[in-house]
Amino acid sequence: MTASAQPPRTAHVIRSDAEAIAVAHKLAARFAVEASERDRERRLPVAELDEFSASGLWGITVPKAYGGAGVSYVTVAEVIKIISAADSSLGQIPQNHLGVLDILLQTASEEQKRYYFAKVLQGYRFGNAFSESKSKNAGAFETRIRFDGDTAQIDGEKFYCTGALFAHIVPAVAVNEQNQAFIAFIERDNPGLSVIDSWDGFGQRTTASGGVTLNAVKVPLSAVIPAHKAFDEPTADGPISQIIQAAVDTGIAVGALEDTKRYARESRPWIDSGHEHGWQDPFSIAAIGDLEWRVHGTEAILRKAGQAIDAALLDANEDTVAHASVVVAQAKVLSAEIALLASSKLFELAGTRSVLGKYNLDRHWRNARTHTLHDPARWKYHLIGNHLLNGVKPARHAWN
Amino acid sequence: MNALTQPVAVVQSLAGSQHDLHHARNLLETTLAFVRQQPNITKDPYVISRFGDVQIRIEVAAALLERAEGLLDRHEEATEISVAVAESDLASAEALATASNAEFELTGRRTALPGSLHDPLRWKLHLIGNFRLNGIHPPSVHPSAKEAV
Repeated sequence: MTASAQPPRTAHVIRSDAEAIAVAHKLAARFAVEASERDRERRLPVAELDEFSASGLWGITVPKAYGGAGVSYVTVAEVIKIISAADSSLGQIPQNHLGVLDILLQTASEEQKRYYFAKVLQGYRFGNAFSESKSKNAGAFETRIRFDGDTAQIDGEKFYCTGALFAHIVPAVAVNEQNQAFIAFIERDNPGLSVIDSWDGFGQRTTASGGVTLNAVKVPLSAVIPAHKAFDEPTADGPISQIIQAAVDTGIAVGALEDTKRYARESRPWIDSGHEHGWQDPFSIAAIGDLEWRVHGTEAILRKAGQAIDAALLDANEDTVAHASVVVAQAKVLSAEIALLASSKLFELAGTRSVLGKYNLDRHWRNARTHTLHDPARWKYHLIGNHLLNGVKPARHAWN
Repeated sequence: MNALTQPVAVVQSLAGSQHDLHHARNLLETTLAFVRQQPNITKDPYVISRFGDVQIRIEVAAALLERAEGLLDRHEEATEISVAVAESDLASAEALATASNAEFELTGRRTALPGSLHDPLRWKLHLIGNFRLNGIHPPSVHPSAKEAV
């Protein structure tokens, strides 16, 4: 695809939480139609993304003071869940865009906020060039930023750059000599920026979560924000990044459960059951009941997590941010658990015919397994337990 | 007995769920108090994450209880209420079982729990599944059925 630093059309501006949910349902119904084909052929959702951002959904967290709807994070999570239930790659692609909007809100100058929020309301998409596959851990960066007069130069190599290929502006994380993290907003057609479509994971296949190289990229200082401040002080930025992950996984679970019911209805009755139809199987019925309550429990905790983030945004302090981290961690554990369970139970309840290639039902499990690896749920049990047992507040970073 | 018969008392009371959740929270508190008296144990990553698991199950139960209460307060459709109550019951029962197992594992004691032979969870799974999979409504709702429990 050709790199463009501008959207093809000006986006609609969404005015309320209710409108955001309604628009998400409408889009999801359309995205669902070819989701399986896109996955099977690894056809990147270029036209779908243009429709997605033109709908205004990529601007719903822009605060009212800057012309957006400033929707609650309960709504943000619901929107991402609805889209992900239809196509979880499409649900994941705005993940970092939404995270960056909050970092802008927390750390940018007034002028930068006005400039970038206006762009987002027009339909500009941010990608991301944050993670590095060769650094010591997820939070370590080797990409460098050097300040020289009124410009900055960025050099480095990134991976897991979901959304970058489709972005108009690619925010890249780089550290200075003091190892403080900054984000530079790099236009997609900047000659030093290369986005490589190298993502060949078995799940989330159309996210184009590949690599970015930054080779003597020059940007004006007005395109750089001191991102480290979002974590030096207590802010909701970590929980915001995380709730979007949990919402994607909850959406995968919802989509998998819908297909489970659809195909389980059509399954043959087991020989020993004494029934005429597969849907009369008492064990299948109970297994559906189990998935149902677990999905609803996860959705209920996802809403609680959204409320905790809203509270932390209203009054950011050590306690509100820690509480948001803990509740979002609960949503993360539950959503990972149910996404994997539902996408696996699908085959058990629908029977052997459901594994046939023509149905491509394994995409739910492939997507669940891939996306839930973003950060390990095993450390969320620890985070929650350490807060409960020892009163230890979660470390503040983009994965908590 | 087939998919169309459901020998489960359809209830629209959350008393059972409230009771289980309350019980689960008490067990968690006594287990926390016991473990906190052993300073070397509170840093054990496996003990810490065990508490994380218990808290997650309790919070899910609380959230589904609140959801069912909301449906009851708004006088939603009877089957939707029955299903939400069954979901709340299942979540509370799982929270209680998780807290009870953690209590036994970490303290060596086990607080006796009431049996559930006459209010079996397995038929609550069936009630939910039969409605969501097959659109079959539970038999007529008896609002007072749970009051005696």
